[in-house]
Amino acid sequence: MALFNRFESAIDKGIGRRKLGYLVIAAIIIFFLWFPNDASQSNYAKTVFISGFFYAIMSSSWALLAGIAGQFSFGHMAFMGIGAYVAGLIARDGFTFAMLGVSITPESISAIGSIVIGTAVAGAVGLVIGWLLLRLHDAYLALFTIAFSELFRIMMLTEYDYTGGSNGLSLRPLLQIADVDMARQVEYYLMFALLIVCLLALYWVANSPIGLFLRAMREDEDAASALGVNVVRYKILIFVFTSMIVGFAGAIFYSDVGSERIIPEQLEILQMSLIIAYAVIGGMESLIGAAAGAFISRYMLEAVRQVVISLPFGLTLPDGSDAIVWDTGYWRFALFGVVMVFTLRYMRNGLLYPIITWFSGRDIAMKETVSKRESDDEHAARIEAEDE
Amino acid sequence: MKRLPLSIGVAALIAMVVLLPFSAVQADGHCEFADDAVKIGGLVPLSAPGAVTGGIAMSWAINRAADDINAGCGIEIDGANYKVEIVIGDSEGSPERGQAVVERFILEDEVHAVTGVYHSAVGLATMGMLDENGIPTVFSEPWNDNVSANGIREYDGRPPRNADGVDHIFRISPASSMVGGVVVNWLIDLGVGNVVIIAENTDYGQPAAADESARFEAAGVTVTQLNVELGTEDFVPILSRIQASAETPDVIRVLVTGETSFNLTQQMAELGIAPTEETICVTNQVAFDSVQYWENVPDGNYCAFNRVGIIPSLFSDAAVELNAAYFEEFEKIVPSYAMASYDAVWMIADGIARAGSMSDGAAIVAAIETTDLDLSQGRYYFEYGNHNPELPEGTPAFMWHQWADPIVTVMQYFEQGQSSLDAAVIFPEVYQTHGSGYIVPGTSP
Amino acid sequence: MVIEDTLFVLWLMLAGPLWAAVGLFVLPFVNNGRPEKEQLPATSLKIGGVIGGFALGPVGVGLFYFEPALIRRTTLTLGVVLTVFLSSQVLARIVEPDFPSALWLLLAGPLWAALAGYFIPRHYRELEADDQDVLTTAALGGFAIGPLIFGLMWKTTPKVNRDWIITLGALGAWQIYALFAIQNPTNPCVALPFSATYLTQQTANGIVIGCIYSLMAVGLTLIYSVQGVVSFAHGQLYMVGGYFSFYFLLHAGNLLSDLTGAEVTVNPIWGIPVAAIIVFLMGAVFERIFLKPMHEGLIERVSEYAILITFGFGFFLEYTTLAIAGPFPQKTSRFIEIRRFTLDRAFIGEEFFFGPIHIIGDRAFAMVIGILLIFALLYFLQRTWTGRALRATSQDRQAAAVTGINPTNMNTLSFALGSMLAAMSGAALIPIFNWVPWVGAEMVGRSYVIVVLGGLGSVPGALAGGIIVGIVEALGAGCHPDPSRGAAYKEAFALVIFALVLLLKPTGLFGREPN
Repeated sequence: MALFNRFESAIDKGIGRRKLGYLVIAAIIIFFLWFPNDASQSNYAKTVFISGFFYAIMSSSWALLAGIAGQFSFGHMAFMGIGAYVAGLIARDGFTFAMLGVSITPESISAIGSIVIGTAVAGAVGLVIGWLLLRLHDAYLALFTIAFSELFRIMMLTEYDYTGGSNGLSLRPLLQIADVDMARQVEYYLMFALLIVCLLALYWVANSPIGLFLRAMREDEDAASALGVNVVRYKILIFVFTSMIVGFAGAIFYSDVGSERIIPEQLEILQMSLIIAYAVIGGMESLIGAAAGAFISRYMLEAVRQVVISLPFGLTLPDGSDAIVWDTGYWRFALFGVVMVFTLRYMRNGLLYPIITWFSGRDIAMKETVSKRESDDEHAARIEAEDE
Repeated sequence: MKRLPLSIGVAALIAMVVLLPFSAVQADGHCEFADDAVKIGGLVPLSAPGAVTGGIAMSWAINRAADDINAGCGIEIDGANYKVEIVIGDSEGSPERGQAVVERFILEDEVHAVTGVYHSAVGLATMGMLDENGIPTVFSEPWNDNVSANGIREYDGRPPRNADGVDHIFRISPASSMVGGVVVNWLIDLGVGNVVIIAENTDYGQPAAADESARFEAAGVTVTQLNVELGTEDFVPILSRIQASAETPDVIRVLVTGETSFNLTQQMAELGIAPTEETICVTNQVAFDSVQYWENVPDGNYCAFNRVGIIPSLFSDAAVELNAAYFEEFEKIVPSYAMASYDAVWMIADGIARAGSMSDGAAIVAAIETTDLDLSQGRYYFEYGNHNPELPEGTPAFMWHQWADPIVTVMQYFEQGQSSLDAAVIFPEVYQTHGSGYIVPGTSP
Repeated sequence: MVIEDTLFVLWLMLAGPLWAAVGLFVLPFVNNGRPEKEQLPATSLKIGGVIGGFALGPVGVGLFYFEPALIRRTTLTLGVVLTVFLSSQVLARIVEPDFPSALWLLLAGPLWAALAGYFIPRHYRELEADDQDVLTTAALGGFAIGPLIFGLMWKTTPKVNRDWIITLGALGAWQIYALFAIQNPTNPCVALPFSATYLTQQTANGIVIGCIYSLMAVGLTLIYSVQGVVSFAHGQLYMVGGYFSFYFLLHAGNLLSDLTGAEVTVNPIWGIPVAAIIVFLMGAVFERIFLKPMHEGLIERVSEYAILITFGFGFFLEYTTLAIAGPFPQKTSRFIEIRRFTLDRAFIGEEFFFGPIHIIGDRAFAMVIGILLIFALLYFLQRTWTGRALRATSQDRQAAAVTGINPTNMNTLSFALGSMLAAMSGAALIPIFNWVPWVGAEMVGRSYVIVVLGGLGSVPGALAGGIIVGIVEALGAGCHPDPSRGAAYKEAFALVIFALVLLLKPTGLFGREPN
């Protein structure tokens, strides 16, 4: 401990924690940029990273929606699905709306065009859903979004003729690179760039005045509205914004960047619950924490698939092997559940919170809550005084 | 620090308990293995949303085959014995995961061959990658016609795999068109006039229902199709609808799997809709596991079901042995996909041994094409491949690299709680065990 | 078992009047022990007793006895529903199958509903009229009678009440039914001479399964009423309840077989108390460790925490069960050896009259268990000290604490009791449905629909909601014009209702306004 304290004060005197934090972030980014150039890494490792980036986007954008804005939505995966399905359907079947003179044929639209349309539709649905949700809070909101996302999944599954049912829907490939290694390299950088762009956009929103309003609304909607925050506008805005981000990410990921087809099973509540768990473990109020949580949790879930304990002292098992091999099967998910529950109870701001706070040198997540509680106490005291 | 003595005691105790079994060292020395090993990847669904039950059985069978091969001193190449090593990968039933796992097989685990695959969507998504990387592959359970047809025919914009002269993909499970035909032919022979098909809305149920409807309609039989979602528990409203239809159906065909199918069959029997004297109930291969079937469908007696894979009366010694081992492990009758997965590993091992190389994909493929082996499901061979590349007129494209003889039969229980080993095979006639076609409920052949 | 002769028909026909008589006799006792001010008019009690007993049998009598507030609305609803079905039978025979306005009806309804739902409440607020329930009424009215609703509500801005909602809602339901009939005239819901039988059959299916659904939903609503928490672990508690029962029966059966030397099967009814006790304790422990700090102010943003922590608990339970029990479907032996109760075809002279109606034996039994348990719970809540303390806590925590009730213990009790009810419904259903570790997902989704429909926090609401959801699912799957889609969308029907209720009237049919 003493050593750590000395290290801490040395840092404080020297470079400063914040700067060190930026350096660490820069180092991480450089690592990710360098990674695919490491010849010893196979394409498989890149594939794993690509889907890691995708889930990091999902979970950090959910953290903005649920952690910072307090809109506890289970419909995040559904919005992602809307982006991907619409992009796929448009590119395959086109779209004609004679009354408006709009006609899109599969030939006239590029992969990028279909992705843009998918994103726009996800945003539009987000607008409608956000508007519908204005009256709902907390558990009601969660329940409504569950219903919405299940309805969407059942429709995708049942309308077999259009969506391919459980065979899934192929989107138009975004990149057409014949060389497999090259393609994987490009996909990797594309997805990484997408993650960085999404994180920057999310941070920009979270740290702008909008972010402040959102936090104020999360704590007390009526009070925020009394202070002049346009609750309706920001609530809808945040739904549209996050829906577009995940719709965009989904449309790109399934355009043969991370996966060549989207299946309805991907929209199950189970998958959504994983996103939530990642965000909780990484820290719901820290966007980077949620992103890292997704990345690390997915890695850990894969890593503990099989636990191998090498026996010491040259001991061997009766069958001649020198290690205990345990296929963890479902136990790893059970354990994951335990981690999630205990994180929530005892480290509400996520397992990465201490690290992030240390670097930033201040307590970010708690401050609104604390100040709010103080004002609540004052308020209560005043009411009591008035009563007397 | 007061607690230290206790914790030391506990630690010592745990250490003793943990280390106790390992003190006995058993030498298994009758085989001399070379340093290298032949690595075979088994791609199976082991987590949701995949069909976990199938994945567990297949992964057991694949490992069992490797153990059996290694007990016979592995694969002999140029006088050296190579151990077979299995790498199991979890496809989670998703094409995306399946592709990632195959990539890992190829790049990290450096497998020499691949087998397994339960979901057609996974098979379709991974076959291209496996072929391009020159990995000889024997699929043991996907049914989609295109899995084998893509060998010589374009599919979904992908050129035929054999365009470059070698197609690395084989399949020993039936193509779905081979399965549908049998049940339909049987029912048309019986002279049924109207059929209700209840199908799950998945990549198994929908194509199968479409295929069977087309065949029925071609024969002038009226078909009503009802789609249900997997996971539905209460079918009574849907069944009441069938019950209320003006004409009592002659047949109710169940194309639903897993616990959903058990719920459906049981409720059908409880409501007295089928099987009855007027209505034949035909379910699918899930009914073959009689232990599980009777536990979950105590009233589903006398349902006929299609069985894919060898019938019990033809079980070879290998099959009987495999079934006994499977029963010991799971207390269930061995399903066909476990048998096929078991056989696939043997087939690959045989191919490698005859090719004389574990890494030369093309040579192994050439060897597998000329397979002639008696395994648990019967005699394996491939009619069409590069050894016999011309498919005659009228032979469907899916016969390419496809084992032609997966036995597809219609079976029926005729006693409550009967083991599937004793159930009657009622169609096709050549395989009939009890000398009888359809057994009217309540009678015995 | 098939009960063939007309004796059974006779019995059924007698049953209605019989229960009506019971209702007539029993209901006036509601006033006993009530303070003068809360006395209900004897006539309405008697009418309610007769109608409730006649239409719903013992369920109706019991429901009205414990919740007399429901009498008026339910009586009205029953009347409207009967009228709707009879009149749509007539309509289905008059209108041509290719009636072109079918599409118009389908599109226009939601459109007018949206317009009316948007403008009318604003109008009310502008005029500063009482706008309670106006949104619901306007939207339903727009759906049911199109632009006419503006005529009804714009000029005079009348004070709307639940009678409006019920009437307009029924009218809307009638239109959907008519649409189904027009789209597919061979639909068994409309094709004579069987449609009366068919509708009765589907309604019976709905009521039977609905009562079973209710039991689980009641637990959810109980937890909410005391703690203000929606338990997202409810489905998993239901699932483990089934597994506890299963393993208990298996081991008890083996043990008894070993002891007696004969094959013994333990009736699954014994699994219910076992599952109840274990899950009660589980619920209590979980509440103490994870939910209690929430009420002590140790945790920020309580509602969000509550969702996440119960959700995480459910996640843990599901995967632990998967790891232990495996994914193979399992089932226990049946409650009763009777496969189904059948009311056989009845004839008047030579003419076909009615029937057959089938009800699966075990389901009927489970329904009885469900109803008995719900009534037991109502009795507990209304007539025992602890139950009253629970209700008092749910109404006003501070006031309850002043009277010497310990709210912390009440919290624990409510969560444990609610979880126990989920487990009991699991144990009651494992003889009927195949059990797998993910079996809770579908069921809990339905429970959410039920509690929201009935009003979060209302126990009788959960019973009514369960029956409504059961009937809607049965009729939806049974009457959808396209049989192949009707079955696949079975779950979706309830979800649509759910979304609509959440949007239009989040307090549900019987819920109180949120504080």
